[in-house]
Amino acid sequence: MAIQENSYQMMAKKVVKEHQKQKWFQLQLLLKRKAACLSLIILVLTVLAAVFAPWVAPYPEQGQGVLNIENRLQPPSSASLLGTDIYGRDMLSRVIYGARISLFGSACIVFFAALIGVPLGLWAGYNEGISGAVISRVVELFLSFPSTLSAIAISIIVGVGWPTAIIALIIPWWPWYTRLVQGEALSIKRMLYIEAAQMLGYGKIYIIFRHILPNVMTPVIVMILLDLGPAIIAIGLLSFLGLGTQPPMADWGLMVWEGAPNILSEWWISIVPGGAMFMVVIAFNIFGDALKDILGSNR
Amino acid sequence: MRKIIVNNSLSNKKAKQKSASLPVLQIKELNVSFNTSRGQAKILEGVSFDLYPKEILALVGETGSGKSVTAKSILDLIPGHSRETRGQVLFDTKDLLSMSDKELQTVRGYRISMVFQNPQSSINPVFTLGEQIFRLIRLYLSRDIEALKQKTGCGQKQALKTIAKEKLREAGLTDIKRMLKSYAGEISGGMAQRYRIALALLSSPEILIADEATSALDVTVQAHILKLMKNLCENKRTAILFITHDLGIAAQICDRIAVMYAGRIVEIAETKKIFSNPKHPYTKGLLKAVPKLGADEPLSFVPGIIPDLVNPPRGCRFQPRCDHALDICLNQKPESLLIEDRHKVSCFLYRQ
Amino acid sequence: MNKPLIKLEQINTWFPDNKPVFGKPTSWIKAVNDVSLNIIEGECLGLVGESGCGKSTMGRTILRLAPLYSGKIKFMGDDISKSDDKGLKPYRAKMQMVFQDPKASLNPKMTIFKILSEATALNLRVAKENYLEQAVKLLDLVDLRPEHIYRYPHEFSGGQQQRICVARALATDPKFIVFDEATSALDVSVQAQVINLMKDLQNKLDLTYLFISHDLSIMEHVCSRVAVMYAGQIIEVQDSGSLFDTPRHPYTKALKNAVPIADPESGKELGILKGEVPKLSDPPSGCHFHPRCDYKENICVEKSPKVRKTGKNSQVKCHFHEELWKRGVLRYT
Repeated sequence: MAIQENSYQMMAKKVVKEHQKQKWFQLQLLLKRKAACLSLIILVLTVLAAVFAPWVAPYPEQGQGVLNIENRLQPPSSASLLGTDIYGRDMLSRVIYGARISLFGSACIVFFAALIGVPLGLWAGYNEGISGAVISRVVELFLSFPSTLSAIAISIIVGVGWPTAIIALIIPWWPWYTRLVQGEALSIKRMLYIEAAQMLGYGKIYIIFRHILPNVMTPVIVMILLDLGPAIIAIGLLSFLGLGTQPPMADWGLMVWEGAPNILSEWWISIVPGGAMFMVVIAFNIFGDALKDILGSNR
Repeated sequence: MRKIIVNNSLSNKKAKQKSASLPVLQIKELNVSFNTSRGQAKILEGVSFDLYPKEILALVGETGSGKSVTAKSILDLIPGHSRETRGQVLFDTKDLLSMSDKELQTVRGYRISMVFQNPQSSINPVFTLGEQIFRLIRLYLSRDIEALKQKTGCGQKQALKTIAKEKLREAGLTDIKRMLKSYAGEISGGMAQRYRIALALLSSPEILIADEATSALDVTVQAHILKLMKNLCENKRTAILFITHDLGIAAQICDRIAVMYAGRIVEIAETKKIFSNPKHPYTKGLLKAVPKLGADEPLSFVPGIIPDLVNPPRGCRFQPRCDHALDICLNQKPESLLIEDRHKVSCFLYRQ
Repeated sequence: MNKPLIKLEQINTWFPDNKPVFGKPTSWIKAVNDVSLNIIEGECLGLVGESGCGKSTMGRTILRLAPLYSGKIKFMGDDISKSDDKGLKPYRAKMQMVFQDPKASLNPKMTIFKILSEATALNLRVAKENYLEQAVKLLDLVDLRPEHIYRYPHEFSGGQQQRICVARALATDPKFIVFDEATSALDVSVQAQVINLMKDLQNKLDLTYLFISHDLSIMEHVCSRVAVMYAGQIIEVQDSGSLFDTPRHPYTKALKNAVPIADPESGKELGILKGEVPKLSDPPSGCHFHPRCDYKENICVEKSPKVRKTGKNSQVKCHFHEELWKRGVLRYT
C-alpha cells in the first residue's frame, strides 16, 4: 500500500510539470493569431501614447488646448500630420491627449457598470425570491428611460465636469449588465453541475461565485468590449452639451462632434478622432474574440 | 446502375414482374464532410445501400456513426454552407442530390416523408393541429376532397374534417374533435408522435424515414408507435428507413439491418443473420454489449472510443478498437464484400 | 450486512401546481406519494418507471435536494427529514449522486482537478496539500489517465465524462450513491463499461446504490433488487432475478412486455398497454393504475390498495395480487 501511495505522489508531480508546459502553449496559441497580435499591438501603442503624451505628441501645449489661430483649418501637411482644427491646434496632438480622457473615461464607465451590474445580476438570477424580484423591477425602471437622457439629467443635477459625467453615465449603464447576467444565471442555475455542488453542501455565495460567475464571464467580457466604443461616444455627447469634459481639454467624442458641422469641407477634424475610436474599438473586439476562443472551453 | 438500365430495357410485362425486387431508393458512395475549425471532418465515407419496397431497413449505430446525417442527406435537409456532399441518391431513377430545390419539394414530404425524434418540437406551435393537417390534406388529397363533396354534398370544411378524422383514427388517436383544436404543447409526446406519423403518411409516400422516432418516448408508448408504424406501412406499401441506436427495436420490427460505424456501413444483412451470424468484429462487440432481459451473463463492451472524424485512422476506421486487426487494416480501406446472399461486410477478415 | 441503510417512512414530495399570491396552493403535483421503502446496506436497488412517474424526484428527495412535504427519512438510523442545510452537512459526504447528462453535470470552466478537489474538500480525512494526489488516485480508480487532470470536461468523450462524475461522487468517501439515469445517455458499447466499473467499485468500497432508470433490460444486470414506480407510488419490489419472471403487479408485466428484445428469434410480439400515463397533479382515484389495468374491479376505482409484503424484501401494492398469483396470469412459463 505504501508503495502505491508513493507512486501516486510521483504521478502527481509529473502531472504538475506537464500542466506548466501547457500554460505556455496557450499563450503561444494566442500569439500565433495574426489579427489578435495586431490588435494587441494597436491597443498597447494607444495606451502607451496616452500615458506618455507629453513626450509623444508633436505639440504638447496645443494638445492641452493652447490656441494657434493663424493655422486654423489646415489640411494634413508635413507640419501637422493630421491637419489642424478650427482653433488651429494640431490634430495628432489633440487625439493623443484625447485618448487619455476617452480611454480612461470609457474604461471607468464600463468597469464600474460591470462591477455594480454583474453581482446584482448574479444575485437576482440565482434568487427568484423577493430580493431577486426587487432587483429586476429596479433594472426595468432604469431601462425604461433612454440612458443618454437620464445621464444628461443626472449630470445637470449632480454638477458639470468630467468626473461627474462619468458617474452620470455609470448610473444608467449598469442595469444592462444586470439584465444580461440575470438571464444567463437563470439558465446556468438549472444546469446539473449546480445541483452537484449543492449535493456537496456548498452554500449560495460559493456557488454563485465559483460556478455561475465563471460561466457568465464570456458574455460579460464580450459586452464590455462592445460597450467601450459607445461609452467613448457617450462621454463625447455630454462634453458637446457642455456637461462633461470642459474646453480647452477634449476627448475623442467631443472632437467628432466639433468637426461634424464641417464634415464635407474640413473632413479630417471628425475623421481623425473617429478613426482612432474605430481602430481602438475594433482592436478590442478582435482581441476579445481571440481571447474567448483560446481561454474559454467551447461549450 | 447497370441493373436499372437492363431492367428498363426489358419489356413492360417483365419489368412488372421484376419490380418487387427493384429498390425504391439507392444510395451510392455517399460522402459527406463538414468544414470545422480544425479541418475537414469526414462524417460519411462511401455509404451505399438499397431500400426495397415494403421493407423496413434499420440503420443502426452509436453516437457519431453518421446515421442521422445519412438520413438527412437523402432529402438534403442538412443546413449550412460548410458542407460537401458527393455521391448519388437515386429515387425513381433520378438523383436527389443533383435536383434543384424546387424539384426536391415535389419529393420531400410527398413521396418521401420523415418523422423526427422529438415530436413536439417538430410540430409548429402557433397553429392548431387541425389547421396543420387541413393544409396538408388540401395540398395532397384534393381529389379525395372533391370526391367526398360530390358524394355527400357537404362543404369544403366538413370534407376536410371528415378526412382528417379518418386519417388520425388510422394512427390510433382518439378524441380527435378536441385534438384538432389544440396546440402542439397541449398533447403528450406519444400523441404528438402519432399525429406526426399520420401527417407523414397522408400522401401515402413510397418511403418513410424515421429518425430515432421513438427514442424520446417511454417503452409502453414506444411499443404503440412501433406497432402503428409497422401496420400503417404494410397497408400503404411504404418502405421504412428506421434510424435507431436500439438494437432491440431493430430486431423487433425490421427486415434488414445496416450497422454503421464512424461514417461507414460495416455490415448489412437480414435481421436474423445479423443476430445469429454477425461477421464484422464491431457488430459482434455491439451485440454482446446489449443488455438483454432475462440474460444473466455480465455485459461486455467494445474497448476504446470512437475516432476523431477530422483525423480518422488510416485504413479501416474500426481498426484501433479491433481485436482481430491485420496489417492490411492499418493502411487500406476495406471494400464491401458480398459473403452470402444479401449479406455484405466491410472487413478484411473475409476477403478471399 | 442486512440492516437497512436508509429507511423511508411514508415520504411525500409535493410541488405546488398553482401559486396563488396569498395563502396555500390548492392543488399539488404529487411526485412522490406515500412511499415507504428500505434500502439495505450493500445492495444495489433499482428504481424503474416511465418518464414523469416521479422516480428522479424520489432520488432527489432521499438526498434532500427536493423539498420533502411529509414523512421520515432515516439514514443510518438518524432522522434527516427535518434537518436544514447546516444539519445536513455531515451527511452530504456520505450520500452522493451521479446524474444522467455527464456533460451538463460538470462545470465547463473548471478543470478536472478543480472539480475533484471541490468534492474532496468534504472528505475530512484528506489534508489540503494532498488534494492533487487524491485526485490522481480517484482518476486511477475510475480507469482514467491521471495526465488528464488539468483538462476541461469538454475534452472527454461521454463515457469518460461519466467516469469523472463517478470519481467526483467517490471523492467524498460516500456510503450511498444515487445513479439517476446515469447510463441512459451513453452508447451501448460504452454503457457496459461504466456499469462494470460501478459494480467493481461497489465491491471494492462497500457502497450502497440506488440505480434509477427507465431501461428495464439493464436492471437485471446491475441491481439485486428492483422497485417499480408508477404515478408517484412504488407498486412492486422484488429481487431482480425473479421480478420479470414472476411479476406480481399487472403494470410490471405490461412494462416488460413493451420492451423490444434484441433477438429476432424470440418471436415475441410487443405488448400494448392501453391508455396514457396519468398526470401527477390529478392521478386517478383508488389504485392509480386502474384505468389501464386488465384485471380491474370496482374496488380498484374506489380504494387505494395497501402495500403488502410478499417476502422478506419484497412488497406489492395491488388489491388482487394474491388472486392473480393463484391464477398465474402474470407469470411467464
